[in-house]
Amino acid sequence: MNLLELKNVRKHFGGIKAIENFSLNVGEREIVGLIGPNGAGKSTLFNCVAGVFPPTFGDILFQGDRINRQKPWDLCRKGLARTFQIVKPFASRTVLYNVMVGAFAGTDKRAEAERRARAVLEQLNLGHLADQRAGNLTIADRKRLEIAKALATRPRLLLLDEVMAGLRPTEVDEMVAIIKRLREGGMTVFVIEHIMRAIMALSDRVAVLHFGVKIAEGTPQEVAHDERVIKAYLGDEYAAA
Amino acid sequence: MSPSLARKLPLVLAAIVALALPLVLRSPTYLHILILLYLYAYLTTSWNLVGGFAGVLPLGHATFVGIGAYTSTILSLQYGISPWIGMLVGAVLASIVGVIIGLPTFKMRGAYFALATIAFAEGIRVMTFQINGPRGLQIPPLTTGFASFMFATKEPYYYIILAMLAGVLALTWFISRSKLGYYLVAGGEEPEAAQALGVNVARAKLIAMAMSSFLTAFAGTFWAQFTLYIHPKSVMSLDISFEIAFIALIGGRGSIAGPVLGALLLRPVGDFSRIYFGDTVPGLHLIIFGVVLILVMFFQPRGLQEPLTRIYTRVVDRLAGVREAA
Repeated sequence: MNLLELKNVRKHFGGIKAIENFSLNVGEREIVGLIGPNGAGKSTLFNCVAGVFPPTFGDILFQGDRINRQKPWDLCRKGLARTFQIVKPFASRTVLYNVMVGAFAGTDKRAEAERRARAVLEQLNLGHLADQRAGNLTIADRKRLEIAKALATRPRLLLLDEVMAGLRPTEVDEMVAIIKRLREGGMTVFVIEHIMRAIMALSDRVAVLHFGVKIAEGTPQEVAHDERVIKAYLGDEYAAA
Repeated sequence: MSPSLARKLPLVLAAIVALALPLVLRSPTYLHILILLYLYAYLTTSWNLVGGFAGVLPLGHATFVGIGAYTSTILSLQYGISPWIGMLVGAVLASIVGVIIGLPTFKMRGAYFALATIAFAEGIRVMTFQINGPRGLQIPPLTTGFASFMFATKEPYYYIILAMLAGVLALTWFISRSKLGYYLVAGGEEPEAAQALGVNVARAKLIAMAMSSFLTAFAGTFWAQFTLYIHPKSVMSLDISFEIAFIALIGGRGSIAGPVLGALLLRPVGDFSRIYFGDTVPGLHLIIFGVVLILVMFFQPRGLQEPLTRIYTRVVDRLAGVREAA
């Protein structure tokens, strides 16, 4: 069964057509990558799915329900969590506090929220930073905190928006391992990423977005050898090579 | 002694001192100053639920003071209803008005929100002039006693406002540790991120606004019964809203101790400068407030509460002989 279905999704901002007729299915326990050059519409698509704004046209189905106009906080409670490309920690508070905000989505009790938050922090190797102020973290730890917050809501589908941008290669490998472990635990992951090495290692399937249009979809290998994809990334003159 | 117990002990001592103070301090002037100090600490703590935790800057809380004062006073003057009941009615009314003000304004950001709350408050103040105009309402001190919320001496007022302050502080402590508290802080700092984590930010803010205006109205009734004379300027003026914000900003928004510390620091400055310089330099206390605010914002933008808490725990730990684990 498909956990997430996008059917002919379009998003227009006035005259700008950010996304045109995008369709994609994300199956249960799948890791699907979404790549594309800067400004291709990847984050816009995520925002449509996460409820930040509704698509202009088309349908978005989550667990079979149409979620087009639902609000982010309601979607979160249904099991759809996301991270932000530009990390948004609650900077003046501790790491534990940050994650507990997410954990409260599933419980009203403080003790239970704290227990869940600590479990997530351990899972992401952040346990030793629990009492640090979120604003003092390094960028790598902030990206991991972003995932920890989302995970604490206990989602079924995790939308990751460039969680590896700006990380060092070793940190990227660590993050890839973390995401793979999440899938082994039953999570479905839909991920936007620029780092090709990571997306190739991670994804079962990759969709390529270019100027708001899906130009390719397939296994990482298929996509990497697709002529249209190479053109989109490197320009026409490299296509022959 | 455990460090957490040692840190609580001075608070217990402070509470005992506060309870015993009227037995020692016989001067009505000083009691009056203390009562106003507690009143402002109470007002600012109530304000802090929205202005501190939810991260917005409402500058119209005097409206709720006025609604509380006018509701209980009119009910008791016209219908002979006890001010204690009027206090509750006023609070309910204030929280309804609070939600009505909050609905359109919480969408605004920063200064626009502050300006909108001022506009609402001033509008309501002007409307209040319809009630016996600028002459205000006088409460005749006919029957004193607890039931009529009227006393011949200042001590009962002292204990009532002290109890109110203790109550609102306990409530704030409880909320800051609850789901609502976490949601308010999250929504105040990063609304988009909070929403993605399941927080209905607008709803959390409205709940906080309803509670804050409810509690603020209590102070209005207290004020009316304490001074026995109310007037749009005395219970609804912008000065009250501004002073609350001053106290909160200097003490530290979003903390439990901040409003109390702010009131402890600023109220005596205001009162004594009014007593000693009131004739020669009128309005001096406002200049002092302004200078203090500028200095605090410059050196301790998150209020004096932060460094003071640090010093406090260090001193207490030293005294209790607690060594931090190295």
